[in-house]
Amino acid sequence: MKRWRCSVDELAARRRQQGECERAQEALSRVTSCFQQLLTSLGSSADCSFLRDDMDEMRVLAHRICHGLSQRLVHLLSDCYPLGVEDRQVLERLWVLFLSALENFLSDLHKARHLIERFPLNQHYQRRSLVNTGCIDGLVGVAARVASVQAPWLTLEEKPSPGLVNQITGLDVMLTEMQLRVPVAFWSVEATQAAWAEVHGEVDEPDDSLEDLMEAEVVSNNKEAACFQLPCCGLGCQVEEGPRKTKKMLKKHRSKDK
Amino acid sequence: MTVRNTLRDHGQRFRPRMASLNKAEKVILEMQDPKTGVKSQPQRLVITTIPHAITGEDIIAWLVERFQIDRQEAGNLGSMLVALGYVYPLQEHKRLVIKPDQSLYRFQTPYFWPTQQWPVEDTDYAIYLAKRNIRKKGILELHEQEQYNRLHKWMNHKWDFIVMQAKEQYRAAKERKKPDRVVFECQERAYWVVHRPPPGAVSGMDYGLDRRMDPNADEPKTPDFYGRITIFTQQSIMRPRVKSSVSIGAMVKHCSTYARHDPFLSKCLPSNPWLTDDAAYWTLNTPSVETPTRMRVERWTLSFGELLSDPGGRNDFRLFLKKEFSGENLAFWESCEDLKWGAAATMREKAEQIYKTFLARGAPRWINIDGSTMEVTVKGLKHPHRYVLDAAQTHIYMLMKKDSYGRYMKSPVFKDTLKKATCPEEHRFSLAQLEHNAKNRRPSLSPIALRRLEQEQKAKMAANVDITQLCRFTTPVPHLAVYSGIPDFPFADTSPSHPSLAHTPACPSPISVALESSSASERRAEAGLGEGEGNPAVQAPAGGNASKSRVAMSLRRLLKRGCTSSSMFASLSPKCHSAAGTSSRIRPLSPAQPGPAPPRRITNFFQIKVDIPPECRIYPIESEDEEQEEEHRASFRGGVGAKEIICPWESLNPQG
Repeated sequence: MKRWRCSVDELAARRRQQGECERAQEALSRVTSCFQQLLTSLGSSADCSFLRDDMDEMRVLAHRICHGLSQRLVHLLSDCYPLGVEDRQVLERLWVLFLSALENFLSDLHKARHLIERFPLNQHYQRRSLVNTGCIDGLVGVAARVASVQAPWLTLEEKPSPGLVNQITGLDVMLTEMQLRVPVAFWSVEATQAAWAEVHGEVDEPDDSLEDLMEAEVVSNNKEAACFQLPCCGLGCQVEEGPRKTKKMLKKHRSKDK
Repeated sequence: MTVRNTLRDHGQRFRPRMASLNKAEKVILEMQDPKTGVKSQPQRLVITTIPHAITGEDIIAWLVERFQIDRQEAGNLGSMLVALGYVYPLQEHKRLVIKPDQSLYRFQTPYFWPTQQWPVEDTDYAIYLAKRNIRKKGILELHEQEQYNRLHKWMNHKWDFIVMQAKEQYRAAKERKKPDRVVFECQERAYWVVHRPPPGAVSGMDYGLDRRMDPNADEPKTPDFYGRITIFTQQSIMRPRVKSSVSIGAMVKHCSTYARHDPFLSKCLPSNPWLTDDAAYWTLNTPSVETPTRMRVERWTLSFGELLSDPGGRNDFRLFLKKEFSGENLAFWESCEDLKWGAAATMREKAEQIYKTFLARGAPRWINIDGSTMEVTVKGLKHPHRYVLDAAQTHIYMLMKKDSYGRYMKSPVFKDTLKKATCPEEHRFSLAQLEHNAKNRRPSLSPIALRRLEQEQKAKMAANVDITQLCRFTTPVPHLAVYSGIPDFPFADTSPSHPSLAHTPACPSPISVALESSSASERRAEAGLGEGEGNPAVQAPAGGNASKSRVAMSLRRLLKRGCTSSSMFASLSPKCHSAAGTSSRIRPLSPAQPGPAPPRRITNFFQIKVDIPPECRIYPIESEDEEQEEEHRASFRGGVGAKEIICPWESLNPQG
């Protein structure tokens, strides 16, 4: 009886950890995509010290998520745990997704380092050589999006934040270690979604900002403007269920404002 | 995830240096200066204005001013900047050129600048396509759809990550202000137009294969490095020098001769496939095409080397030589090439066969090379290597070049080929047709299939040879048959060893088989003498039987004496001329005495007694016992190549 209860507990613990990992993966995705958005402004006329500070924060956050996630995944996939076939498949999938995300993030970090070296902003005259790309935003919304990211271990562990170069090397080392330590055949992982499935996922208002600048701009324009006027609402809008809720909330707020 | 094999990464992953990138970046940064840079203006859209748009006209004017060049040059430079991806057009985003008018461009953000340090990952492209899919609700362009499906298949293991990242990036981008969002999407789209161009366009960043060493890294100055530089400079000093007038003259001559045949300098008929995506030019110029084009035939007249190096030209030449009955020269040359470039395993046998077929006294297809060359060659054949026949091959080559080539140019064969040569019309494709061609590009026949066809053709040619000239000595081996070429000398088994006196094409190399019938009986009569059959009497058409017996007798005497002198050969060769006429009616006879060439001799073939001068022996490894020889001759009618070689010039011996 006791053993059965123990195994059930174990199972529950494992499930919980798996769920944590999945949520952490999604959080990592969010942070890295926001990081990339900021990265596109480096070296352009929208570049400034605030931008770089935001970027630093994001990358430190991502770093912490990465570390925690890697530790947990290695722990789960190491041989001390007896895993069922399905469990193993799920964990392997998570493993592959995490490594892909990590590689992607690493390449972005490399680019970030290169661009920061190329376009230092220490002196004012250096602003003259920034590329006029047409972007003028301070990317507040993006930073706000990141601020809402949560991962279970972020509050628990407080590690010193590494500099950019150290972070790159650290992640590199982590990547290679992970690949060496746990043998996962990544080609055996299959996608859970079929091709072209994401087309139906994001229910959104028509958004052809390039091709049809005429139509539908009014709607989205209003929405975005509203977003920025209500920072609290903006934060609350970071819901994964999709923008439908956002729209509803915005409409509510707008009506409230008016 | 990429398969990063961190333990054993010997891979070639460095890209060749594109020095243009650094220079282009400097130019772009100069353009940004608010005072001296390119004038920018806001782009007016329906709902907003986006700053920093520049016109093509302004860019070109700035380049002209900055570099002091003319407008066309500036246009080229500007187009290069656009093709590399530093500037992107706002209208017609797929055409990466600078238009010198009011069309708008914008600078690309440094994140999307082309770089050689990191390759453009397919993962990023997949994420981009997924994002585009989301944004446009599945309406992608055709090539994008194809790429999407391909990536979905190959990156299936990380597809969930790709979709998740695409969604997150999409949502992150939505957080930006509208004008910035428009700009970002334009930037991203422009980036992927450069790095994953639509079909029919070529990426400006296409650099070819990766290299093993990183060309951007500085080479460390090790002693090894200096050693290499030392060797290189030493070799440069040792090179022979030529007067510049001579070398320049040669270059001018070469250029003026080949200018019309160069696809860069002059038009390529019907059209250059690389430009128009129409492969007619290649199909018209395949090596084994029936009717070569006029340009190709013209090339053959430029030099003998050109004629030989073109398979079609070589075939034509071979045909001509066949008519002149001097095909063995070309056959010998081809077999030497085969030896030089062939596999090392079969080299020995090949050299052997070549000797037996072409060089030995009384060989079936004897070629006429001078004595010293023959001596050198035979000496070398004791220890055969790849280039052992080089001297002989050069001799024959010069022979063909000085003699046959000139006659070939005036021959009816060549004139016929020239008349039949096609001259294709030039293509004139419209822009729409060019695009259509680009879409319908298909890969050509695989090289494996082509090689197979080549082998089949060779085998067919070889098969042709075998039927008509079954030589008892030359066991039909495939590689031999190839360069035996077309049977220009009919062979019968009864006459196993017909030395082909191919000194001149006029002199028919094959022994007159017309005399075969008579000689056969004679030979049978002489069988008891252990006489090698053989009917070398080309030179004595009128002599008929009488001469043959004389020939036979004299040969025996010759063999008993056991030596021949090269001078005798030389003196006899002019006599070949007289026999020119008869051989034209030579028909191949079926072998009366079929028998495979026994391989016995082969084992002894290269066990050479070094002290024996070659002139005193017919073959290098002659056994000294004449009785033994005769006995052998008696037992092997057709015999091994060694013994039964009859020297046709024998008829003109003092005895006759």
